[in-house]
Parts: sequence; structure tokens; C-alpha cells
Amino acid sequence: MNRNVIPVGPFHPLLEEAEYFTLTVDGETVVDIDLDIGWMHRGHELISERKTFTQSIYLVERICGICSTSHPIACVHAVEDVDNIEIPERAAYIRTLIGELERIHSHLLWLGLAGHFIGYDTVWMWAWKYREPVLQMFEIISGNRNHYGMMRVGGVAKDVDPARVPELLNILDMVDEKMHMIANAAKDDPVLKSRLKNVGILSKQAAIDYCAVGPTARASGVHTDVRKDEPNDAYGMVDFKEIVLENGDVYDKLVLRLLETLESTKICRQCLAKLSHSNGPILNNVKEIGVGEGIGRYEAPRGEVFHYIRSDGSNRPIRHKVRAPSYVNIPTFKASCKGIPVADALITLAAVDPCYCCTERALKIIDKNHDPFALDLLNLSRQKTEKIRRETYGAK
Amino acid sequence: MPEKEEFLKLMKDKIGPSIDKKGRLYFEVLNEHILEVADYLFKKLGCRLSTATCMEMYRGIEVLYHFSHDATGQYFCPRVVMTDRNNPQMNSISNIVTGAEWIEREMAEYWGVKFIGHPRPEPLLTKEHPKGEGLGQPFRIRRMS
Repeated sequence: MNRNVIPVGPFHPLLEEAEYFTLTVDGETVVDIDLDIGWMHRGHELISERKTFTQSIYLVERICGICSTSHPIACVHAVEDVDNIEIPERAAYIRTLIGELERIHSHLLWLGLAGHFIGYDTVWMWAWKYREPVLQMFEIISGNRNHYGMMRVGGVAKDVDPARVPELLNILDMVDEKMHMIANAAKDDPVLKSRLKNVGILSKQAAIDYCAVGPTARASGVHTDVRKDEPNDAYGMVDFKEIVLENGDVYDKLVLRLLETLESTKICRQCLAKLSHSNGPILNNVKEIGVGEGIGRYEAPRGEVFHYIRSDGSNRPIRHKVRAPSYVNIPTFKASCKGIPVADALITLAAVDPCYCCTERALKIIDKNHDPFALDLLNLSRQKTEKIRRETYGAK
Repeated sequence: MPEKEEFLKLMKDKIGPSIDKKGRLYFEVLNEHILEVADYLFKKLGCRLSTATCMEMYRGIEVLYHFSHDATGQYFCPRVVMTDRNNPQMNSISNIVTGAEWIEREMAEYWGVKFIGHPRPEPLLTKEHPKGEGLGQPFRIRRMS
């Protein structure tokens, strides 16, 4: 048996955070994968226990740069759960608006990277081009393109100016139109379908066993969406569909994210309509947090973010547990990567949307004849797409 | 919530007093019953394990599992308390819930809890650290409620 080991990471263009995967390949087939995390110790949980509840919100906002509002929302939910704190209706709509805008820009970011990995650079450029107006919307609402600083225990920090709602709606209309265009193009493209269909399948049972969350689980037919299961904030007051697909392959994960983006624009439109016609407080005055424990969760773009807070009645938590969605989604690689061609490994790993960075490193392996050759996973993936394209459309 | 009532009825001899708060059911379980409780929650009720939290309290080291019943949005939170602070150990639920494997490994290295029967009892986050320089007891939270 001719088995080789391909190390991916700990620093690799696929991975924004440092993680280490070891692919064992037999010929061109991945036969095993091992995962090794723990390359960055950030200490958020312990630091949070030395901060006040309000300071902790700013701290957890910096856990992730892409979904930077999901952790604060889950964190304030947990604190509010300790003491049964209610929030004003207007604040609920603003929280939901911010959360859904984040889902749109995060899914567009993933779409662009997925396109790049399989050699669809036009998709990459389009997706990131139309992500930009979403960041402009954040700037209009919060003053920041990222790390919005909007969440507070008992409500939100800043109101949405009703006079600027038409401007926000115009941007949203444009993004919606372009998303429909990208979604239709993706669904109609035979090469994309051939390239991604039945690639990296995560079965429904495996998704349940690994306790997967978010698009990773929903693409495998598992109904899990915090927005529907426990509709916090304004999710119980807006109309939207939970998208669930059945096949669990990369194609379903792609389509699911595109459809979710369209649902998110629908939710944003409803929130903006409400915010343009109503007024009211945005923050309840919370003076102290009592003794107790609380669970806060939010459906981040990658899945459920979970925060647990225990309070002894002081102004800071005595225990703050944080679980990000990638923590439960990354182990599913064990189930989805086995038996796939090595050219599909990159897009399969990328399909659960772990974070990425923008550097690249070719890695070298030695074959049994000791002939050194460079194996570049990105080029392998793009070459496979090109092969399918040629087969579909001819040599040109 | 029929699932909760059914659970409390079936497990009344296995669990301690429970606190029901806004759809979150917190209850204490003895170590010898945690596997049965986890099996019922995961396999019979179809709950998903969100995560587990370890903390040090006055009574000892506490492991709190968070099982989410996604169909109803409710939470079942079994709590195991280990009073022997110097040698905390409990049964691993990883053979029932595959998704518990990482979090139990993490709790083992951060809090020094030994999970009996864990399929892969090796460090998750400090694998590359020199032997004997894991986290564990010195890193436990100093403040207690």
C-alpha cells in the first residue's frame, strides 16, 4: 500500500486561524484525516472573568473578525438569561438587523473564497464586490465597518436613524438583486454542479453524531437553527424560512448559503420597515446582575454560538464559557473527508467555513521513488474544475 | 413540555433536585448515572450536545453538560460534581455522543478532570507542550461562589 501523509497547516492559505490537519492519502484518495488544534491560546474565557459584564461584550466581539456581532449577541443573551432581563422591541429589531447583515456579508465572503478555491475567480470578484455595500450599511448604522459595538445588556447602544432607512433599503435592494443573479448563475452552471455535487458528503447521521451546527448540519438534513428553535430578539416577529437540504455535499452547502442570504435580505427588509415607522427606547437601564446562571445563543453565519455565564451577583461573571460553531463543525472532517480524491480535500475542508487568511504556501511531499514534487492543493482543486469545464464545453 | 415531564418521570431516581428556568432544566446527576442520562437525552430525546462547562465551586469541581432539544428550543443541563479536588474523575460520555470528544479532552487538560473511558484521552490544546507543562489545576479559577 502506497500511503503518503500531507500536512495542511498549522499556517496555510486555507486556514485563517492556525490549525493542523494531516491528510493520509492512498494514491489520490484520502483515507484518513487527523485534526490538531491548540496553536493559539487567546484566553478569552479567563480574561472575561476579570472584566465587567459590559467590558466582556467588547472582549467577545474580538473573538472573530468576520462574525463579530454573533458573540456579543450570545453574550448579552446569556447575561439577560441570568436575570430574566427584557429588551425593548426596537432594540430587538436592531439586533436582528445587525445579525442578518452579518450573515449576508459572511456568506458572501465564503462564496468568494469557495469560488477562488475551485477556479471560479469571477464568482470571487463578484461576491466580494457585492459584500462591500453591506459593510457600508454597517458604517451607516453603527459608524464601523466591523466590530460594530452595538450590543448592550438590556438593548443596543445606537439607534437606527429613520431618515437613513430609505438609503439602507436602496443598498439592500441592489444586494438582493445581485444575490439573485449569483444564485441563479450558480444553480444553472453545469460545471459547478459537476464539480461540487456528491463531493465531501456529510451524512445526516454523522452530522447528528458530531453535533454539527449551522449550514454544515442543515445541508445534511438536520433541522437546527437557533432563529427558529428559540426565536430571540425579533426572530419571532419576522417571516423567514429555515433552509434545510438533504445531500450534505459541498454543492448543497453552497446552495444553502445562497438561499440563506436571500432569506436574510428578506428579514433585513422587514426590520428596516419596522424601524422606519416606529420610535421608542433602545436600551433598558440594567443596574446590576443577580446571582444565577444563564445560557445565551445565537445563530451565527457558521452556526450556533453558545455562551454560558454564571454570576455571583457582582459586576463580573465567575464563569464565562464560550463555544464557537467551528469547534463542533471542524471534527466533522473525519466523516466528510474519508474516501474523497485529494483534489476535493481543499473545497471539502473549506465547505464548513472555517476562517481563512490570504497567504499561501506550497507544500512538498516526497513520493516512494524519492522524486521531489510540489503538491499544491489549491492548484489541484482548480485543475479538476478546469478538466470538468473542458469536458462540458470542449477544449476552448 | 412533554419531553421534560417524561424525562423527570423516567429519571426521578437518577437525578437530584431540578431547577426549571425559562425552558432550561438544570439538575444534578451522580457520576454513576451520567451515562444513562446522556444516553436518554441524546438517543431517545434526540438532543444535541451544545457543549460542556467545567468550573470550580465550593463543593468541588463541577462539569455541566448543555443538551439542546432543538425541536422545542429547551435545554437539559445535567451537572456532575466531583468533591475530590485532587483527583477529579468521572465517566466520559464520548462513547455515546461523538461530539463530546473534544470538549472532554479540553476539560481534562484545563481542569485536570480524568474522563474514564474516553476513546482518545490525549491533550487537545497542549499536545505540543513539553510533558508536564499542561494547564490543569494551577489554572483553575481562583474565585468561587
